[in-house]
Amino acid sequence: MNAIAFTGVSKSYGPVRAVEGLDLTIDAGSTVALLGPNGAGKSTSIGMLLGLVRPSAGEIRVFGDSPDTAVKQGRVGAMLQDGTLVPGLTVREVVSFIRGLYPDPMPLEEILALAGLTDLAGRRADRLSGGQAQRVRFAIAIAGAPRLLVLDEPTAAMDVESRRSFWGSMREYAATGRTILFATHYLEEADENADRVIVVARGRVVADGTPNEIKAAVGTGTVRFTIGDQPTAGLDALPGVTGVEIRGSVAQLRTTSPDATVQALYATGLRVTDLEVRGADLEEAFLSLTHDN
Amino acid sequence: MLRYLGVEIRRTFRDRRFVFFTMAVPVVFYLLWANVFGKADGTVGGTGLNTRTYLMVSMASYGALGAALTTTGSRLAAERQSGWLRQLQITPLRPWAVITVKIIASMCLALPSVIVVGLAAVLTQHVHLSPAEWGGMIALMWLGTLPFAALGTLVGSLVGPDAAQPVTLICYFGLSILGGLWMPVQTLPATLRHVAHWLPSNRFAGLGWSVVGGHVPPASDGLVLAGWAIVLGALAIGAYRRATVRG
Repeated sequence: MNAIAFTGVSKSYGPVRAVEGLDLTIDAGSTVALLGPNGAGKSTSIGMLLGLVRPSAGEIRVFGDSPDTAVKQGRVGAMLQDGTLVPGLTVREVVSFIRGLYPDPMPLEEILALAGLTDLAGRRADRLSGGQAQRVRFAIAIAGAPRLLVLDEPTAAMDVESRRSFWGSMREYAATGRTILFATHYLEEADENADRVIVVARGRVVADGTPNEIKAAVGTGTVRFTIGDQPTAGLDALPGVTGVEIRGSVAQLRTTSPDATVQALYATGLRVTDLEVRGADLEEAFLSLTHDN
Repeated sequence: MLRYLGVEIRRTFRDRRFVFFTMAVPVVFYLLWANVFGKADGTVGGTGLNTRTYLMVSMASYGALGAALTTTGSRLAAERQSGWLRQLQITPLRPWAVITVKIIASMCLALPSVIVVGLAAVLTQHVHLSPAEWGGMIALMWLGTLPFAALGTLVGSLVGPDAAQPVTLICYFGLSILGGLWMPVQTLPATLRHVAHWLPSNRFAGLGWSVVGGHVPPASDGLVLAGWAIVLGALAIGAYRRATVRG
């Protein structure tokens, strides 16, 4: 059965169309990344999936039911973007309270261990650092052992070390056969943690596939140099190059393999100055994908 | 739901400001006024109560009203903004349960004010009531906080956290002063006396004054309070729904 099904879902806020005709299905048991720049409609889609936002058109099913029903029956857990924790309670009290709202929750100690909170259980939840608070919010999301776990840019407030341990916890939870949907605007996070990546931009799905397919489609880097008035023909045939853009005297190549491209570029005999190699600029890659469709 | 009620009550008692303003302040004011005015013999205008007993009910009402308003108003506004309510919305806990628990919790949190002021009255001012009168006063003053809990919920659902605090305080002091909780209604100008007559705060304290005077409170007190509770409750539920369900 599909864990999630969006059929022709749109959402407008006045004249602004946040989501336009979204169609997608997600298999139960898979870990899926919703990848896209800010303003792509990720949070709106997640809000609709959780029943917090009503779609303007279309239908959403979660395990075959409406989002409201799925939430009411405790089949969904989520970590939303904003959300300071409620004041006056310890970590253990907050987690245990939320856990008690679900029909078939995880054991308390297991939740605390999985979220890395065992040592912080007695601390007041409103007096933790940013990364620690995110762990509590993750614990709240998994407390009810939901079949669908939704995470909206979960690592936004985390440092590198916290991120690493967070994704470790997430993968551990995914290994229990649950469905996970997470939103991110980092290709690396999607690549390392998802089985499938859905790229959204301007409220539409612009690419959908395995992390490798997506990386190939958006390219993993750009190579820029000053080309002056030398001929530009043949640049698009260099190894790895997926797109060429000339702006005045500067050439920019989008490539799946910056190393191969640079090597071949010098072999062409062109006079290459001001060479710059960069990782994928996702925003730009997304926008070009939107234009292509 | 019971678990949520427990959580709400527990975390409020950890808030020192709450304990200070709803328990310490009414007791201190009670002791102050009772010592200043309580020496005089005689009764407070028309109630047949001596000053110390009259003031006990006034200050208990003042504390209870404050507790019911502050545990709902600014707190709800803050939870709405912080995303905590949204987090609860995506659990199996239903929105109607959230608001019901909030209102019951704030009514329960008003009880300690009545009890500590009553204790202060018994221990320091030698106020004597029969067990039935104590029971009646506490029970009625618990039920009587309902319109204020509804008012606080309304404020918390309508305005943001920055405005909720002052709006709550205006309601709090306005209702207390005009309702005759600080000075007997008889000392107010005639126009304000008419206003006071229809205010829930005056009727709320009226329940207490009647009971400690040995009377059954007049039905009109109950009706006025019930009227306020129904109107404010309906508005609060409407505002709360609008505030939490996004289009």
